[in-house]
Amino acid sequence: MAAKEAYSRFMEELLSGKFVWTGELEPGKDIKESLEAARELKGLVTACNVTDNPQSFASISSLAAAHVIQRETGMECIYQLRCSDRNRLALMSEVMGAGILGLKNVLALTGDYVMLGDTPAAKPVYDLDSTTLTYMIHRLVHEGKDIAGNDVPNPPKMHVGVAAGPGVDPIEPEMYKLKRKVKAGAEFVQTQVIYKTEVVDRFFKWVKELQIDVPILIGIFPAKSYGAAKFFDENVTGVDVPREFLAELEQTVKIKDKEKRREETDRINIEYFTKFLEHLKGTPAAGCHIMAVGYPRIIPELKKIVE
Amino acid sequence: MNAQEQKPFEEILEHLNGAKKIVLMGCGGCATIFRTGGIKEVNDLAERLENTGKEVLARIGLPFGFLCCYLPVSSKFVEEHIEAFKACDAVLMMSCGDGAQTVREYLDEKGVVKPLFCVNNALGYSGGGPTQFHEECLGCGDCKLALTAGICPLTQCSKSLMNGPCGGVRPDGKCEVDPERDCAWVQIYKRLEKLGKVDLLLEMREPHDWSRAARPRREEVESIDMMEELARTKRAIEALGVR
Repeated sequence: MAAKEAYSRFMEELLSGKFVWTGELEPGKDIKESLEAARELKGLVTACNVTDNPQSFASISSLAAAHVIQRETGMECIYQLRCSDRNRLALMSEVMGAGILGLKNVLALTGDYVMLGDTPAAKPVYDLDSTTLTYMIHRLVHEGKDIAGNDVPNPPKMHVGVAAGPGVDPIEPEMYKLKRKVKAGAEFVQTQVIYKTEVVDRFFKWVKELQIDVPILIGIFPAKSYGAAKFFDENVTGVDVPREFLAELEQTVKIKDKEKRREETDRINIEYFTKFLEHLKGTPAAGCHIMAVGYPRIIPELKKIVE
Repeated sequence: MNAQEQKPFEEILEHLNGAKKIVLMGCGGCATIFRTGGIKEVNDLAERLENTGKEVLARIGLPFGFLCCYLPVSSKFVEEHIEAFKACDAVLMMSCGDGAQTVREYLDEKGVVKPLFCVNNALGYSGGGPTQFHEECLGCGDCKLALTAGICPLTQCSKSLMNGPCGGVRPDGKCEVDPERDCAWVQIYKRLEKLGKVDLLLEMREPHDWSRAARPRREEVESIDMMEELARTKRAIEALGVR
């Protein structure tokens, strides 16, 4: 359900109707790069997602990382929390912990299957799923109750968001699930990366049909190199990078001069995303979630298109 | 039934750890169907062991339908060979872990305490046959099939999700863990659509109650009359022409 008041700058901007940009930080096994990236993204995006064991590779805790990033850089964080690795007790205590650390946004995720990462022998948990995790957080924040129904005297003020995967076929199970998550208390949505305007249109048709009434940020992935696009195409489930976009980027590999290659890569991205973002302006999208790790220089160019 | 596969022979020898005199006991249930502990497999393994210099004191094969995990039957076979059990260095159970431990407990109570282990790896509940089997039930103790079009997401979804698909669904509706398999929630959706009950997908399901699966579970039931049941089985086999 849509938020009535804003506890974070991110939600404040969404409620104001402004087109909101969010970025993404992957703490990995060393926080240093994320801190640098957060400083680079400051002023370019409103908030940054901090990933939680992405693709099931053991990483610095998203909660700890988000706290340090907020404290050290002032970048507001949307801290990601997945159900793969913790049971409901651990999730509950972590969210209460996030509250005392000053986190104001959380993205409730199911999480990639543990076998796909660097610790495949781990026992998968999935005690809750993204819907019940959303409901758990909603109830904590708005009713002051923990998952067992016990009173929580000073519940944290935070916004819970969810992900959506508009690119799957059939789309119906995914859209019903999204509706279910919004009914459970999701206050914003960040979608998986979309490249095709047809996918955007089909998604918003369903959003309207099911009366999903919370701000939705569309995920985009401008690729800083052919290698980055290829990696994304091969390793991220639920997303196919368009062949023509990949083929065009592949041509840049031949360019010897580093500066010229950069320029050409930027040109390809700007050309592709100009069309995409122009199209997005005619939809109810509340903003964009940019999963362009290590590619902040493209963001001002993209923002120009929308503004 | 309980799907199973036999361990590699080398591993079996390793577990025997020098034991020379062996008792082999099979099972006339799942292990016969999965060819991991029927009468033929008991004899085959006995011969392989004998070829490595082991002495097999008893080859206890249970006819089809006689379950190792059902003591009213299996205890009779144990009793018939009790002297061999007493004299052996180790007992090899060609059943699932249920059958193996049921017999182990019985022997312990009789004061016959022997190294005993299972030569099979049990793979959990499955249905199908005669050649293809698939896992359908987790034995969670709190069945919700009525809400999920008769397809159990706790079992069919790699993540046991109760509230729809995860973000790992591939663009073609397959599972992120196994690209050959349809996402459980895509299957559930398709079946709900045929049943005209897609609205069930809009309701949030509470987190599953795992307290019903707290282990080890114990159940008590009134015992059956085996002769009466077997007579029924015989009549049914004849009437249906089961082979």
